[in-house]
Amino acid sequence: MSITADRALALPQRAGLGLKPEHYATILADRPDVGFFEVHAENYMGAGGPPHRYLEAIADLYPLSVHGVGLSIGAARPLDREHLKRLRLLVDRYRPQSFSEHLAWSTHDSGFLNDLLPLPYTAETLARVIDHVDETQQWLGRPMLLENPSTYLLFSESTIDEIDFLAAVASRTGCGLLLDVNNVMVSAVNHRLDPVSYIDRFPIERVGEIHLAGYDETIDGAGDRLLIDAHGSAVRADVVELFRHSLSRSGPLPTLIEWDNDVPDFATLHAEAIRADAMLSAAAPHGGVIRAA
Amino acid sequence: MNRSTLTLALAGSLASAIASTAFAAPLAPEKMVGNEKCYGIALKGQNDCAAGPGTTCAGTSTMDYQGNAWKAVPAGTCVSMNVNGHKGMLAPVKS
Amino acid sequence: MTMTFQDSQNAFASALLHPDLPLPHGITTARGTADPLRFAIYRNNVHVSLTMALAQRFPVTQRLVGSDFFTGMARVYAADHKPASPLMMHYGDDFPAFIAAFPPAASVAYLADVAQIEVAWSEAYHAADGPPLEIAQLAAIAPERIADLVVIPHLSTRLVRSDFPVGSIWSAHQDETVMPVGEWRAEAVLIVRPEMQVEIRILPEGDGEFLACLLGGATLGDAAEAAFAVAADFDFGSALTGLTMLGAFSAFEPSEGEVS
Repeated sequence: MSITADRALALPQRAGLGLKPEHYATILADRPDVGFFEVHAENYMGAGGPPHRYLEAIADLYPLSVHGVGLSIGAARPLDREHLKRLRLLVDRYRPQSFSEHLAWSTHDSGFLNDLLPLPYTAETLARVIDHVDETQQWLGRPMLLENPSTYLLFSESTIDEIDFLAAVASRTGCGLLLDVNNVMVSAVNHRLDPVSYIDRFPIERVGEIHLAGYDETIDGAGDRLLIDAHGSAVRADVVELFRHSLSRSGPLPTLIEWDNDVPDFATLHAEAIRADAMLSAAAPHGGVIRAA
Repeated sequence: MNRSTLTLALAGSLASAIASTAFAAPLAPEKMVGNEKCYGIALKGQNDCAAGPGTTCAGTSTMDYQGNAWKAVPAGTCVSMNVNGHKGMLAPVKS
Repeated sequence: MTMTFQDSQNAFASALLHPDLPLPHGITTARGTADPLRFAIYRNNVHVSLTMALAQRFPVTQRLVGSDFFTGMARVYAADHKPASPLMMHYGDDFPAFIAAFPPAASVAYLADVAQIEVAWSEAYHAADGPPLEIAQLAAIAPERIADLVVIPHLSTRLVRSDFPVGSIWSAHQDETVMPVGEWRAEAVLIVRPEMQVEIRILPEGDGEFLACLLGGATLGDAAEAAFAVAADFDFGSALTGLTMLGAFSAFEPSEGEVS
């Protein structure tokens, strides 16, 4: 673990890929030119076995991003101390260049619900999320990135705009933001917002990583177009264009291709990263922007 | 069998079994498994692709929620699987 | 009176998990009205993601009964069994027990035991790593001490015993074409991962009883006597060396009753 022992706390400004068990062997045999790999934290919280063996080998070759999906930062209930301990153990072991989580909740008294659920944006929920991000950063001893959600409904009690909410969490906790461009498209279409102005209003100087993924499409109860954040296909053309627009504001940023369902062969996945890398290379460096850690 | 007879029998049985493996030099850990071909019946294994459920941060457009109405009957390989005269669907008659 | 964050989240979760309940208060759309179909996306995500997680962990169980039956059974399980933590690798640990008590699956009498092999496989896959006991360490034990020793199992060691040929059935489903299954008989199946590969093996008759006793804390002597009682041709030496060479043990130690 010589390389992971003194990692810098920054991912390269390149395209990365989600690491999938079906690709472990191919990656180690072919050592493809990929900017970084990202794993879901919870998939590496087992005691031992092949997942850790492979992740150690791959983390020695590539920069690593750990992306949590189960901390439930947007829950009203307190964070799960046991889960925070598991996260700290994982982060201490692999020393990833980035740790990120979601503005969502997933744990309830009935158990873990295995979905990223939405929360209203109010003064009360903002205070709770700020506490939870503070607590997480203290436990991990490092700043985290918080990801904008994709949502299918709104709360009438919301009094704070989503971007203002995220910006407030970032400024109050010092956390960075993860800009999921696919989530922007999904939420914008679902809530009749303009995705370009969402990007234009986003506090881009706090963004430490971008996510891209493919959405699915259906219609809602009134016959309106409804996008589903499905992660089961290539990045859609309109999201590619929105990504290009984001880069025009931010300059190149670490950019992850998420493809979690119907995972294709590695070559197909890698082609997505190569396309994103070309766009990152073409993006003008954005001088004078202070980047969140 | 009394305890000392048992101890003698076990020690003798173990000694002869170890003697029959003694030709083998100390085994590297990765070689150890599968070396004892004679013991038990080794079954074809799964690979890492079968790692089991992982997490997701994605939703699904597969609409599958139908409440708890129960209609289905087993209709997979248990129906067709032939186990030496038994159909896989049926529990064997206990004697 | 306004609801607190905790109240409204509880109401959201209740409506999510109980489709007979009305939509939670306060959800809306850009149109200004609530849309049951949009809320159903979340209900669907929870149920589909949980049933899919079970299908991924129990692929042979699913093939045995077909995907329609399996999905229905998984849906009933998921309705009352939410994951205890975000570690989805553990989801379904008690699915075999659920299957065993699930009347519609009763005609497939071995289904729960096949599912137990699938639980054991993923437990072994994710178990803590550790060096298994080597045969040389076994050879170094003083003969007169053998009968009174107990084993410390390797952390990945699992044993599934069934009245049915569940190891053979599991194995027959590892390829696209289901292979014929040989004899219809009880099987004891050892699942263990001493290194990075999960090994799965049908044990000789008698050895299943022997290992079950050892895993339950019996001394080698008591376990051997129990094995002799069920299989007159039980071979203690080949059982102990065979299990050791498969990596089933981490260590031997004196039983608590023994004064060393």
